[in-house]
Amino acid sequence: MTTPMSGRSTGTEFEFLDRDQFKRLADLVLNLSKGEHTCLALYDASGGTTRFANNQVIQHVNSRRITLAVTVAFGRRHGTATATDFGEEAVRDMVARAEGIARVSPEDPEYLPPLPPQTYDTRPRVREETIAAGPHQRVALVTQAVDLCRLEGMTAAGIVSSSVTAVGLAADTGLFAYEPRTEAKFSLTATAADSSGWTANVHRSIEHLGVVERTRLAIEKAKRSANPREIEPGHYPVILEPSALAGLIGPMLWELDAKSYYKHTSPFEGKLEERIFDRRLSLFNTPDHDDLTGNGFNHEGLPSKEAAWIENGVLKSLRYDRFTAQERHVDPTPSFDSPYLSGTPLGRDLTAKEAAGADTGLTKTPGAGAAGAVSQSLDELIAGTERGILVSNFWYIRTVNPTDLTLTGMTRDGTFLIENGRLSTGLVNFRWHDSPLRALAQVDGFTAPADAVSNENWKMLLPAVKLPDFHFSSVTRF
Amino acid sequence: MNTMRERDEVVDLVLSRLRSSSAEYGDIRMLDSTTQLVRGEDRRIAAVQDTHDSGFGVRVLYRGAWGFAASSVLSAGEVRRVTDLAVEAAKASARLTGDPVKLCSEPVHRATIVTPCRLDPFTVPLEEKTRLLLETMEILHRQTGVARSSAGLWFRRDRKIFASTEGTRLEFDLLASHGECEATAVHDGRFASRSYNTPHLRRGYELIDEAAFTGEAPRVAAQAVEKVTAPQVEAGHYDLVLDPEHLSLTIHESCGHPSELDRALGYEANYAGTSFLTPDKLAQFRYGSAHVNLVADNTEPETLAATGYDDDGVACQRWDIISEGLFVGYCTNREVAPKIGQTRSRGSNRADSWSSVPMVRIANIGLQPGRARLDDMIADVRRGIYIEGHGSFSIDQRRYNFQFGGDAFWLIENGKRSHMLRDVIYHGITPEFWGRCDAVADPSHRRRFGFITCGKGQPGQSGWMTHAASHARFRNIGVIRGEA
Repeated sequence: MTTPMSGRSTGTEFEFLDRDQFKRLADLVLNLSKGEHTCLALYDASGGTTRFANNQVIQHVNSRRITLAVTVAFGRRHGTATATDFGEEAVRDMVARAEGIARVSPEDPEYLPPLPPQTYDTRPRVREETIAAGPHQRVALVTQAVDLCRLEGMTAAGIVSSSVTAVGLAADTGLFAYEPRTEAKFSLTATAADSSGWTANVHRSIEHLGVVERTRLAIEKAKRSANPREIEPGHYPVILEPSALAGLIGPMLWELDAKSYYKHTSPFEGKLEERIFDRRLSLFNTPDHDDLTGNGFNHEGLPSKEAAWIENGVLKSLRYDRFTAQERHVDPTPSFDSPYLSGTPLGRDLTAKEAAGADTGLTKTPGAGAAGAVSQSLDELIAGTERGILVSNFWYIRTVNPTDLTLTGMTRDGTFLIENGRLSTGLVNFRWHDSPLRALAQVDGFTAPADAVSNENWKMLLPAVKLPDFHFSSVTRF
Repeated sequence: MNTMRERDEVVDLVLSRLRSSSAEYGDIRMLDSTTQLVRGEDRRIAAVQDTHDSGFGVRVLYRGAWGFAASSVLSAGEVRRVTDLAVEAAKASARLTGDPVKLCSEPVHRATIVTPCRLDPFTVPLEEKTRLLLETMEILHRQTGVARSSAGLWFRRDRKIFASTEGTRLEFDLLASHGECEATAVHDGRFASRSYNTPHLRRGYELIDEAAFTGEAPRVAAQAVEKVTAPQVEAGHYDLVLDPEHLSLTIHESCGHPSELDRALGYEANYAGTSFLTPDKLAQFRYGSAHVNLVADNTEPETLAATGYDDDGVACQRWDIISEGLFVGYCTNREVAPKIGQTRSRGSNRADSWSSVPMVRIANIGLQPGRARLDDMIADVRRGIYIEGHGSFSIDQRRYNFQFGGDAFWLIENGKRSHMLRDVIYHGITPEFWGRCDAVADPSHRRRFGFITCGKGQPGQSGWMTHAASHARFRNIGVIRGEA
């Protein structure tokens, strides 16, 4: 057995390598390497997830994984090796494996050496209460959610998790970056006899998950969607809550790849500097937003910064790898680790704390609801709809046509018919079939941005949006 | 990889600590995985990565509640910390346990399982692999109209130890291989891809040699161009003839997942979903036509789930899921099998890593061959579509309403396969769709395809399994155009 370095310890649960320990590891690797260029990456992840279903804990997972990845280059020949053992012998072996690969690999015309030293902001991305959270605290939160569901005769399923990941990058060029990041998650499905309601949140702080408030919302959705009615599929006005919109937008963000754009295999072909969304909508990256989980730097060590992807409906930027950015003489910095879609100028929307409590009952979306300069509350969007459908969440979203970015998916855990400005009944779930590029070209209304977490995407801040026409292509059996 | 003595020390330390704790059951899995990934893109080798991932996970049952802890740090202190943390987590779980877990019994096993292979892929020189991929991509680009290409090889070796407080001790040395290539053609503002790949199988480099990528590349490239220039499908109802690779995905989504008993019991209600195949339907529900026989077989050599034993230490088995159209069996583990009165697990409990807790995963479920000849199946179609490979796929959270695309589509007119089509999407409700199956091709058409990215669980895990099939025909299925 190897003897581990003593990491930062905050009790029995979470430990991680601190900055000095990573620096010593990096020095060891850089001294061992015979490569022309060498870059070391660290991911030291500690976390725990308490999973529940049928109103009881079904899994209780805790783990620590330290991953080191070294990339060695001789000229344009490069190779990468990883290890989860950071003993000296294992580190020597890892460097030797990377060198061995690099020596026999063909030249890569797109290889670029590691970045020179960069300047990063020092904004903390850890919350001590998340690091300190252990099995008992997570079970206590789960118990709060389960008890509320039991009181209503419903069945609860979901997770509470907490984690800390220390991320580091170091290269022979002098590049050095190190940053611990915390993340806590809560999601819950409240299931009744023939209906269900869902909620979720992600935050750096386990104290900001809003377990009780969100559980009540999921319960209310399940209650209100009982005895669901089946209506004909077709084109309807729709209100997408923030989590549903996250499902629609998430696949689109991946397709902003610049290399695909310039090789004519992108749905955004010819759309740069063109209007793709309603002119009132803008999409930003906001790595320093308190309610998002943005990072200080990306996987290559580029500092994260605030940037506009879509401004007033116009596509302003693509997602560049460093090689394509160099070819096109553009800044490769913007990333989308912390997306923020807004109908008002950046910085004008209310924070989650300010907006909380503005609405009541079913339509209260945590973190949203108060009217900004041009946005409406979700209640107001519903009140202004003569006939339409309210969607809480989407599920199993996949690309159908990569050229026009047609997607398909299902509605899930709270789909409602709006009639005469109010929710009249829950609906049997639909399959839908539409493109975000078509659906978001015209928007009839929107709320302030709110917490938007979907099953298949990362945390965003997005408004609920009212769209004049959305295509529901078929119904299912429940 | 740590030495045998060091691994034995860890196993002994964990088991002795668990036996002296108040846990009623415990096990340890130590896993050392090596993965080699060689990835080519647009006539260059974009990445060569050699990944070593090792660690151990300890699972504990205390008063019918689970706790699990894992670490990549192998020191005596860390082994003690992790073991104690697993016990502590189980005790915390026990505060919220209404229906305590009772594991069904399984004989004690002691065995060593090794994947046989003719050519160890980790001994094949890297230069040979990169040369193959560069040559394959070069051939793809010779076709006019092809704008982009990719090609890749993937190999994985898992050395694992499983040991439980019941006395089972198993050692594994498992191998898996895979190769793929793809051409993307551009035409008139559109783009479309055509791919060719080996299945993921527990075989050596011989799998790559047999695939003959450079020989297949001209066809793949030509079909990419034909696909992007093909006429759009007209929406309507068609008879479908589905090839084995395409069917592997249909089986996976519409039969595999709904037959996982943990889903049917609500364990995945918050994420992957539940199942329309609820326990009251067992041996009662007509899932498909009498042509439909879907068999789980975790004993077939070379398939991904055929690992000898699962991560409960239960021996792999073969059983029926759908028999002549009737739903008759589930995929189970030692925890959920007793909940429907079964006395033994089907041995389908698997974790994707030392850091993951095992859960019920789909077995190697395959469609049993019928007696039809493929040519006769097509000859008996007046207006239909022949579909090959995987494309878009989506299914609801109870596995009723699905929608599938494919990798390539050909129109069938008056019993003959004619030109390609594009943007074909078919949809349906699972039992209605399988009820329209009226022919399955004979065993000579049987092929196997593996999955290594089957998502389930929170935190998410990737399940591995193989689905085999011969071609099958489905009558009068709804088809739409894949466009907004």
